[in-house]
Amino acid sequence: MNRTRILLSAAALLFTSGAMPVLADDIVLGGSAPMSGAQAEFGQSQIDGAQLYFDQLNEKGGINGNKVVFRPLDDRADPRQGTLVAQQFCDDSAVIGVIGHMNSGVTMPALDIYSECGMPQVVPATNPELMRMGFKTVVRPVANDFVQGALPAKYVTEKLGLKNAVLVHDKTVFGQGIAGVFKDNFEAGGGKVSGSYGTNPEDVDFSALIASIKLENPDVVYMGAGMPQLALFLKQMREQGLKAQFIGPDIGFTIDFITQVGAVSAEGALMTFQLPPYDSSPELKDFSDRHQARFGRAPGPYASLGFANAQVMAAAVEKAESLDRAGVLAQLHGVTVETLLGPVAFDENGENTTAPMYLYVVKDGKFELIKQ
Amino acid sequence: MLDYFLQQLIFALAIGAIYGLIALGYTMVYGVMRLINFAHGEFFMLGPYVYTFIFSGLIGLGGLAPMLDSAIAIIASFVIVGLLGVAIERFAYRPLRAYGRLAPMLSALGMSIVLQSAVRVTVGPQPVHFPAIVPSTPIDALGGMVTTVQFGILVAAVLLMVGLTLFVNGTRLGIWIRAASESWTTSSLLGIRVNRAVSLVFFIGPGLGAMAGIMYASYYGIMQPTMGSVIGLKAFTAAILGGIGSIPGAMLGGFLLGAIETFGTAFLPILSFGYIGTEYRDVFAFAVLILVLLFKPAGLLGETVSEETTVAKKDY
Repeated sequence: MNRTRILLSAAALLFTSGAMPVLADDIVLGGSAPMSGAQAEFGQSQIDGAQLYFDQLNEKGGINGNKVVFRPLDDRADPRQGTLVAQQFCDDSAVIGVIGHMNSGVTMPALDIYSECGMPQVVPATNPELMRMGFKTVVRPVANDFVQGALPAKYVTEKLGLKNAVLVHDKTVFGQGIAGVFKDNFEAGGGKVSGSYGTNPEDVDFSALIASIKLENPDVVYMGAGMPQLALFLKQMREQGLKAQFIGPDIGFTIDFITQVGAVSAEGALMTFQLPPYDSSPELKDFSDRHQARFGRAPGPYASLGFANAQVMAAAVEKAESLDRAGVLAQLHGVTVETLLGPVAFDENGENTTAPMYLYVVKDGKFELIKQ
Repeated sequence: MLDYFLQQLIFALAIGAIYGLIALGYTMVYGVMRLINFAHGEFFMLGPYVYTFIFSGLIGLGGLAPMLDSAIAIIASFVIVGLLGVAIERFAYRPLRAYGRLAPMLSALGMSIVLQSAVRVTVGPQPVHFPAIVPSTPIDALGGMVTTVQFGILVAAVLLMVGLTLFVNGTRLGIWIRAASESWTTSSLLGIRVNRAVSLVFFIGPGLGAMAGIMYASYYGIMQPTMGSVIGLKAFTAAILGGIGSIPGAMLGGFLLGAIETFGTAFLPILSFGYIGTEYRDVFAFAVLILVLLFKPAGLLGETVSEETTVAKKDY
């Protein structure tokens, strides 16, 4: 009788805590990003990157002798699912830190829940507003959309000398926001924005719009939108013979963009991205090799960011005086750490003081880094 | 300005042709069965997926001449999607026929979810690149620019529409369809096998939808499991606009909706001095629909309302 009860409760424990039983002094950290659905490629790569770092840490004996257990949950890029995930992490008192979420729209409603339960949070989402909402539980190592909109504006006005731009955006928080940032910086650089057009986020036919943009005769088209709209727009733009320089944000930084546009039409398109290419430093090359060895595939677009975010979280846990949420939270904002992607230190809002941004150009069917 | 107008007209014709082809499926099914087939958008979505499956299969087996491979794959997708339509009618709609109008309609909604999810689970939810069947080369025409793909869409769609009109008006099978849509009971009393007419309609409608899907995918270069939802709604609108149940009406409605959308996008910002942006395109298209329904409820080419159709319209 007694033995069955023990067995049953052991089994129950196994079921509730996933595959690995959590020992008393294990450090449990949560992670969340879309791992299914259209953005799974991006989300899964972040989770893989973080997992890789924690595995490495455990091989060396964990944090101060305690093993790290990383528990990823799928938020499907859906704000409703994101809040459920947040609640789940909050309710599990073993979880003392969360890396997530990937999408700004998912992160925004979840912030409130994490903050309620004092959960230390490392955020990979990029909307500038997120860090200005007054939550004290969050830090963001990655560059925000102010940086992302500013970099290409500076590049085209100063380096390419292009002065006449048209903006297209999909009316979402992200798309309209980043197009606005580009506009401000483009005008500050002496350029003129001769038109700004909104579309519906699900539109696939831009031909009529492009024909009217052609009348403005712009030399730059900046588009704040998602995929596949970025690819469809550029494809239709080239079909109509509109030769203007095309610029898009991070969502377009995927090989799908080039295959959907066609390598010839995509040639010369500019795309901003928060991360350097995997062959740009010996550390990143080494990371790429280890990723290949661990998962049997090359690192996805956001893998190095997942790795760096895990480094930030681990650094805060390492310095914590007590292994609970309050202990980690006390250290989170003061963390300074040399990550895979460079040094990280946070300002009073929780933004990284030196977050880099990279500009890529499509060349011969591949994204190539533009050296600044 | 004339160049600009002509250019927009070309876009309007290309997208209008696609709307028209899909609208035909809605209108034929409604004509015969008084059923709005909400799964019709999914046949449109299945077209390019089936095409890609067959085409890459043929290439995998060594392939024949490139154009021949495409032709076989196109015909095969028409037949496969058409047969799927017949099967769905047989097993998901026909058993519910005795239970009023609402039951088959809900079944259609359910089928739509099933088909979409099936593709999402088996192929994946992300948009997939669809290589154009003919290479897209721009041709200068009357000051505007036509790509070979747009031209191909227009020619193929018009051929299919002419073919359908000849078939419905000039063959024995066409007579079945027309008789069944005029009066179900009278035609069955006169010895017409109404169920055969229904199966025929459920073969041709989804088949044409699949053709439209292939055109659409090669026009925009992508296909995705959700592509049928919005376009299905638009084509349904086109069918209503032209007068649901009327075959020429569906064609007219398609071209008209394409024109309204395209010219709305092109001229609204200019006419309103930038106050109304291109994002109001759908609002504009649906506003025109509301106006047509207010002043001509049967649609532009809608059949003269007989006693039986009046009853049918009241049911909705």
